[in-house]
Amino acid sequence: MNDSQPLLDVRDLHVDYDVAGAAGWRRRTLTVVKGVSFTIAPGETYGLVGESGSGKSTTGRAILRLADVSGGQVLVDGQDVATLGRRTPLAYRRAVQAVYQDPTASLNPRHRVGRALTETLARHGLGDRDARRRRAAEAFEQVGLTTDHLTRYPSQLSGGQLQRVAVARALVLEPRLVVCDEAVSALDLSTQAQILALLSDLQAASGVSYLFITHDLGVVRHVAHRVGVLRGGELVEQGATRQVLDHPQHEYTRALLAASPSSHPDGRDERRAERAARRAAAAQATTAQEAA
Amino acid sequence: MSNAVILDPADRSPAGTQARGVVQAWHRLRRQPSTLFAVVVVAVLVVVAVAAPLLAPYAPEATDFDAPLSGPTADHPLGTADLGQDLLSQLIYGARTALVVAGGSVLVAMLIGVPIGLVLGYKGGWYDRIGSRGLDIADALPGLMVGFVVIAILGRGMAVLVLAIGLVFCMNFARMTRAITLTERKKLYVESAHVSGLRERQIVFGQVLPNLAGPLAVQAAVFLGSAIKVEAALSFLGLGLGDDQPSWGGMLGLAAEHQADRPLMAVAPGVAILLTVLAFNLLGDGINDALSGRRTTGRRRSAVLGRLRPPTPPTLAEVRTARSAGPAPEAEPQPAPAGSGATPDDDVEVPADTVLDVRDATIVADRPDGSTVTLVHGVSLRVRRGEILGLLGESGSGKSMLAKAVLGLLPPGVRLAEGSVRLNGTELAGCSERELRAVRGTGLGVVLQNPQANLSPVHTVGRQLVDVLRAHHPLSKRDARARAAELLDLVGVNDVQRRLDQYPYQFSGGMAQRVAIAIALAGEPDLLILDEATSALDVTTQSQVLDLVLDLRDRLGMAIVNITHDLGVAAETCDRVAVLYRGELVEVADVVDLFDRPQQAYTAALLAAHPTADHDVEVIA
Repeated sequence: MNDSQPLLDVRDLHVDYDVAGAAGWRRRTLTVVKGVSFTIAPGETYGLVGESGSGKSTTGRAILRLADVSGGQVLVDGQDVATLGRRTPLAYRRAVQAVYQDPTASLNPRHRVGRALTETLARHGLGDRDARRRRAAEAFEQVGLTTDHLTRYPSQLSGGQLQRVAVARALVLEPRLVVCDEAVSALDLSTQAQILALLSDLQAASGVSYLFITHDLGVVRHVAHRVGVLRGGELVEQGATRQVLDHPQHEYTRALLAASPSSHPDGRDERRAERAARRAAAAQATTAQEAA
Repeated sequence: MSNAVILDPADRSPAGTQARGVVQAWHRLRRQPSTLFAVVVVAVLVVVAVAAPLLAPYAPEATDFDAPLSGPTADHPLGTADLGQDLLSQLIYGARTALVVAGGSVLVAMLIGVPIGLVLGYKGGWYDRIGSRGLDIADALPGLMVGFVVIAILGRGMAVLVLAIGLVFCMNFARMTRAITLTERKKLYVESAHVSGLRERQIVFGQVLPNLAGPLAVQAAVFLGSAIKVEAALSFLGLGLGDDQPSWGGMLGLAAEHQADRPLMAVAPGVAILLTVLAFNLLGDGINDALSGRRTTGRRRSAVLGRLRPPTPPTLAEVRTARSAGPAPEAEPQPAPAGSGATPDDDVEVPADTVLDVRDATIVADRPDGSTVTLVHGVSLRVRRGEILGLLGESGSGKSMLAKAVLGLLPPGVRLAEGSVRLNGTELAGCSERELRAVRGTGLGVVLQNPQANLSPVHTVGRQLVDVLRAHHPLSKRDARARAAELLDLVGVNDVQRRLDQYPYQFSGGMAQRVAIAIALAGEPDLLILDEATSALDVTTQSQVLDLVLDLRDRLGMAIVNITHDLGVAAETCDRVAVLYRGELVEVADVVDLFDRPQQAYTAALLAAHPTADHDVEVIA
């Protein structure tokens, strides 16, 4: 959708984790992300879907520099993040922000929620005390909260309100890219729809890009321009969202779609029969493989 | 912003909540007499220490050579020391010494120990490995010996004593701080602070430290008591304060010298030490209880309040405008007009194959002040043999409470206030726990959300199945095991004989959920209740488990109540769907009718808000 330089360019990304071995001292490495490549253009939303253990969150953490990149490159605006040094420069933190799944856990329970914003602004040297407060109030208004909410503690807000605070915190720095890691998965349907609408509005207004990490194909269909399907640390398929979801090329994408509950009961018996046939075929394939 | 966003209706004034917090803390305190006692003792002690010059009849070191070592007299109610110093005055000034030394040494201990613990816990890795070994070594040194050494090197005196006792305790603070920091640093708010670009120093001291306040307060209170004991011990040994400083330990030392002629001299300082140490320990316990109590009651309160919220316009109204779908909103959810395939559940005639018949069930929570909160309001439902009824609702809709009421497993303080619950015609409301237990195994089976949490981690899967089977049927162990194998086979677990001897952790989430279903089926129930049974599973696993449930229904013909927040799960599995919203039944309808022609605005809005993978809804915004 954009022929200029992509905002985020992930090339052949590998991420390893050290795992303590059975005996405790023998450490072995486990490769969680195996050669993932994708790009995100400015103002674009890229959906990364996969089941638990597929490496989707780890990919996001690598981009946020919370997990070490063990192979390949992550380029933001053409600059390889590996060259940034051990301490992440503030400019990078400002450009790349995150919204997490569980807003009750991602906000400090002992701090008033407004502090999450003012403290961040202070760290980035943006404005004096009053200006920061004003900016935080503006950001709260932008996400549909009022200035009254600034002085609340997380326990005094609902899940939806907390997720709005998390969005405000991410966007108050005017980032270029926000990594949304299951950002709406823990929310009720109505709240989820509101947060998705909010994210779209903010994108339209500011041109921010999103990396939308989720297990929910329905959510991806609604927010993502392009989508990548991750399985066991590898990207099995990627492309325009409609293309991938309506005409899946890879067997795994097809299985994933077949397993996703439909929005209407019509044709569910056929779907059930199809799933059963798919499973039988898979089982047969494995036995055939074992026999060979 | 193209659309004005409606706020979630949880507006409570922070000032009010805060004030209520203080009042609640006081109420809790009042219900803990031991803590109240501790608070009073400590308060008296503080007053005595501060007002010592006013309270003491003499200066502590003032001598009265007319009456050395006197017993209790009118002038000296507790008697005098060997130079005629008034013991009551010494006791009063001793309180001052005790508090200053204890407070100072705990402060020193925290100032040294907490930062060490924070750094070790937060940095982890080699810092932690080396630092923790250092703590182990420091811990192995006897505390009093450390005190002796410090005093031997630096001499006697108040400051040295404070430092010595502080050093004795600082390792305990470091150890505890490290342990809590280790768990805190893995939390998302720390990660978020990283992403915000905060410095490590800011994260450790600004973000993590405030979350340690509670446990540290408890520890500090307990150590205040211990510090007084150590101070008394050192002073007793003549290593603590100078002889001119009045202290309880010093008084005990003197009493020991004159044990023969003045045996009662030790009583007053002894009682003072005992009471003070006891008070600080009880205070520590009290703080601990208050903190943990606040957490649970806070959660309970918000959970109750969540349901209590007045029926302000649903946030879904907003979604509707965003998606421009659905009929005009109606203020009050009306009882559903019966759709074509829907069974009206409040008619008098009960079909013969009805398994579960819930009528006008009202569930209330009792609050401490005697009032009640209605969680479920007059809900009537009916499930027939072989039917899958979906209970659809968002969090706080009362769907799980309804299921718990059927199971007789309502949490303490929550009860079925009105209505009846009949299983195969037998009234369950008002049954004793014993009667219910009999019904639960054979008439009712339940599968909950988190399979790993609902299986015992220390017993093999086979043992758990056999136990349940033998509780309901007179079976030998061998027969029960054979039946257990059949059940596992029934729910699609392969390699049954080997699997029976495995523990739950050796099962994946989907397999563990199959085992949970097998256990629920062990009593051959007429009604199976699935409470968000597939919500924690990946979609492929979820579809497998749901297909299994459908297969089992087809083969065994039991009635199933499927509680879910997921419209897709309801669409794929249910025959009829009941929609709940804030404790009220919005509508019950045949599944196709519900999805095609929702009768209520709420249902329509819910459908509009549902993002699905298989077709487009109008793009948001």
